[in-house]
Amino acid sequence: MKEVIAVVRINMMNQTKQALTDCGIDAFFAHEAHGRGKGFVNPQVLEGASQGYEEAAAILGEKGKLYPKRMVTAVVPDSQVSCVVETIINTNQTGMPGDGKVFVLPIGDAVRVRTGETGAKSIA
Amino acid sequence: MIMIRSIIRPEKADTVLAALMDAGFPAVTKYSVAGRGKQRGIKIGEVTYDEIPKVMLMSVINAADKDFFIKTVMDKARTTGKGAFGDGKIFISPVDSSFTISSGVEETAAASEGMAA
Repeated sequence: MKEVIAVVRINMMNQTKQALTDCGIDAFFAHEAHGRGKGFVNPQVLEGASQGYEEAAAILGEKGKLYPKRMVTAVVPDSQVSCVVETIINTNQTGMPGDGKVFVLPIGDAVRVRTGETGAKSIA
Repeated sequence: MIMIRSIIRPEKADTVLAALMDAGFPAVTKYSVAGRGKQRGIKIGEVTYDEIPKVMLMSVINAADKDFFIKTVMDKARTTGKGAFGDGKIFISPVDSSFTISSGVEETAAASEGMAA
């Protein structure tokens, strides 16, 4: 059992939901989140700043700005981890910085509250 | 690779984020949470508040940077002096793998440069 945490663009949520469903993952939850990454710079902004536009320079100066994101968390069986990761990447990839991250964490156990089932059954 | 989740006071979030940036951990995800600790919330007069707003900062970093990261957060998130109840918690969990969506590349501990989550 693994926990897959994906931080994605907010306008990609619908595609991501659809993709997860297609992948056989019906259960997940999502958070509103704000985040920043390695701090890639938009080439257009950089170009603008080098041409002396003050607005562009101001944007460049905003290091550490947090951008709105969505955080999707799903607990999936080991066998489906690679499928889920690939699906999320393929769906969300535009190739531009800011597409997000996918993390895979180990999960010790899970319990379904309704029935008390544990382990693989609880997420089946 | 490890994931560090720090629950801190909302008013300390900006300070901690700036400190993390300076310390070389630019990549952070922040979200709002509500919770209580072992003091069972806070009692003001007759009213007990047990859903206290906090901010959760999530970062995935190299295991080697763990102590430095924790020290950075701890220094800034702690209330001046000896600290106070409600300053928060830091949780650390292992991460199996991490992928950058834009490039589709799996991050490894070896490619640590700029990984800082």
